[in-house]
Amino acid sequence: MTEAAFSALASLADPSLLIMLAVGVVAGLVIGLIPGLGGTGAVAILLPITFGMDPEPALAMLIGALAVVHTSDTVAAVLLGAPGSASASVTMLDGYSMARQGQAKRALSLAFLSSMAGGLIGAVGLTLAIPLARPLVLSFGSPELFMLTILGVSLAAVLSRGNVVKGLTAGLLGLLLGLVGTSPTTAEERFSFGSLFLSDGISLVAVALGVFGLAEIASRVGQRRVTEKPVELSGGWGSGIREWITHWTHVIRGALIGIWAGVLPGVGATAGTWLAYGQAVATAKDKRKFGKGDPRGIVGPESANNSVEAGDLIPTFLFGIPGGVPSAMLLGMLLTYGIQPGPAIVTDHLDLMYLIVWAFAIASVAGAFLCFLATGSLAKLTKVPFAVLGPGLLVVMLLGAFQEGGQLGDLWVMVALGVAGFFLKATGMPRAPFLIGFVLAIPMERYYYLTASLYDGASWVARPGVLAFAALLVAPVLWSLVKRLRRASGSVDDGHRDEHASADEDADELEGSLARTPWSLGVAVAAVLLFAGALWVSGSFSDEAQLMPRLVALGGLAAAGVLTWQEIRARRRGAARGGDRAVDAPAGSSGATMLATRVEPRLDARALARRHDLMVGARTFAAMAVFLVLVMVGGYLAATLVFTPLFLLYAARTRPRTAIIYTLVLGAVLLALPSLLPVDLPMGLLQ
Amino acid sequence: MTIVVAYADTPPGHAAVAAAVTESREGETVVIVPAVRGERVPDVGELAAGWPGLAGRVEVERGDLGDPSDTVIQVSQRLDARLIVLGLRTRTPVGKLVFGSTAQRILLDATCPVLAVKPAVAAT
Repeated sequence: MTEAAFSALASLADPSLLIMLAVGVVAGLVIGLIPGLGGTGAVAILLPITFGMDPEPALAMLIGALAVVHTSDTVAAVLLGAPGSASASVTMLDGYSMARQGQAKRALSLAFLSSMAGGLIGAVGLTLAIPLARPLVLSFGSPELFMLTILGVSLAAVLSRGNVVKGLTAGLLGLLLGLVGTSPTTAEERFSFGSLFLSDGISLVAVALGVFGLAEIASRVGQRRVTEKPVELSGGWGSGIREWITHWTHVIRGALIGIWAGVLPGVGATAGTWLAYGQAVATAKDKRKFGKGDPRGIVGPESANNSVEAGDLIPTFLFGIPGGVPSAMLLGMLLTYGIQPGPAIVTDHLDLMYLIVWAFAIASVAGAFLCFLATGSLAKLTKVPFAVLGPGLLVVMLLGAFQEGGQLGDLWVMVALGVAGFFLKATGMPRAPFLIGFVLAIPMERYYYLTASLYDGASWVARPGVLAFAALLVAPVLWSLVKRLRRASGSVDDGHRDEHASADEDADELEGSLARTPWSLGVAVAAVLLFAGALWVSGSFSDEAQLMPRLVALGGLAAAGVLTWQEIRARRRGAARGGDRAVDAPAGSSGATMLATRVEPRLDARALARRHDLMVGARTFAAMAVFLVLVMVGGYLAATLVFTPLFLLYAARTRPRTAIIYTLVLGAVLLALPSLLPVDLPMGLLQ
Repeated sequence: MTIVVAYADTPPGHAAVAAAVTESREGETVVIVPAVRGERVPDVGELAAGWPGLAGRVEVERGDLGDPSDTVIQVSQRLDARLIVLGLRTRTPVGKLVFGSTAQRILLDATCPVLAVKPAVAAT
């Protein structure tokens, strides 16, 4: 045990690993600074670069980035009042107020130190989880693993914020997408519609980068710019450091909450951070200063959002069930190296596990240190508008998706999924269960058939492990029922302890902005049609290959049906209420008229913002499609050289000089990449 | 001095406001804190119309926190309130166990006296 840990540390002394770790840390810090890209963005952008590397340096780089993203995302939150990632919006509450009182350095030093401690405690948690879970993991047979995959998807669906039905629908859609390709048991092609390309299954990188990466670009390009001037970096570092030591209990509590939130699938950094803030407030005697610059409001959440990423890794590596979106991508990466997470990793790749732990710990410390040194100069990065970053990110992400299979079809799938991801995001459907479902679809089916052929009949159901997981499966259903009952009987004394529900909404402008419009009804109906189509197509498969698609499609049909019914009901109720108001307004009491006159313009503004978002999204996706056509014709480099300046000049409205320099740099990078890294550029017809 | 009311648009919530009106001294400010998540925040005109005794000395404060009970405590501490008034509704011990309680948390955490009122029996 300990030898493995120290030999992993010794292997980190290898300069090439250290360099990769350093590259990861710097990249993670920069990505964290840019508003809108969190841990998901960090892994998505770096993942393609790691194709062709050995697993050790690749992991060192990705873990390095993941460990520090939540250290630097505080900078924008504190100085600009615009969070670098959704989870930093919590730090913004107290950090930004503190910075406006001229104590920016105090807030930042509190945040950096807490992030560092959170990362270290997270790494310790990950280390302790290995020996604790090892006997448990090794006792698992295929029935337990099968139950775990189900548990992973359903927990992700139930625990992600918002409507449970939406979560389930998203999870089942992900499972369905994961079933595309060759069936693991009968080697027949499913949902491939005769295409050779689809019979391979859809590449994970294309799905993850599409649903999260491209959708993020499309929704952020049109983002209203931050016009506020950054707060000056004033105050002393020292006072924050001294103060941090007095709040050490909050650091530890925050980190533990973070680890726990990370272990649960679907509860990511954002929810974990709000939980930590909630408990800091709830346990404080003197609540006066929260929201106005209370150090306890910075310390707990900051420590939590770093330890979440470590907590995420625990179920990912030990059980093969990703705890969140970034770790789902890491899981995909490990699979491409032929490393099967789950019990096997504990026996065969223990050194890799410890390498990850060390990398996480070292990166946390180095990240905080670098932040102290470089915040002054790096803070300028937070002012770069997203529209300018868009084309560069697009080029990098599409290139990344191309690396896995070397097929242009993957890129089209990615853009199509980007559109889907945009609508899922806009209508408030959680996307984490979608990705987790996609990743777990094939393992779920494989474990099921292993179980069915190893045990006769249903005897496996009585195994204690299976029963325990079944109990765990029922618990969240009950919990969500209780939650619903609570909401139904809203009154003074209903204690909603989940902190994130309301406060999350203002963190992201697009998130859920299309909920309760014809668009969300459309998404629900489209889901129904998709599941119905899948059910119909699956009728032609052989019995063995049919079971999973059938079950998923039936479950999906039910979930999407309920969702459609909810949408229709909400619309009808909304219409009725609108009618009432129209009748009330002329005659009613002063309160009602005031309400009516006050609400209407705001609704109009929201509708306008919605149309603006949709237009920008549509234009961005059209631009992506044009880019792909250009790639097909002229190859990647030529397409980039044509597309980037056009996008910058017309969509981002930058100065011509910026556009030209940007394009030249991007072109040079693309030209140099194949010789530096094992990366292939797509070839066009004319090349 | 001020009185803080944990407000909800329900019979117990209204009873709390009424109690605050009778409890308050001449010219004392009554601060209404919405204590139900997601409920519409009442405006001053509306409240003054419902309780004429409040006209001119009622304020609405939303606080900076997500949790309603924390918000009520925070506002009362910031304003150094003399009294918190909150409305209770009838609940069985089992119901309390399942649903948790904002009222209980206010009672336990408050740093000033708390007046808990129930609506008239007929109203519930």
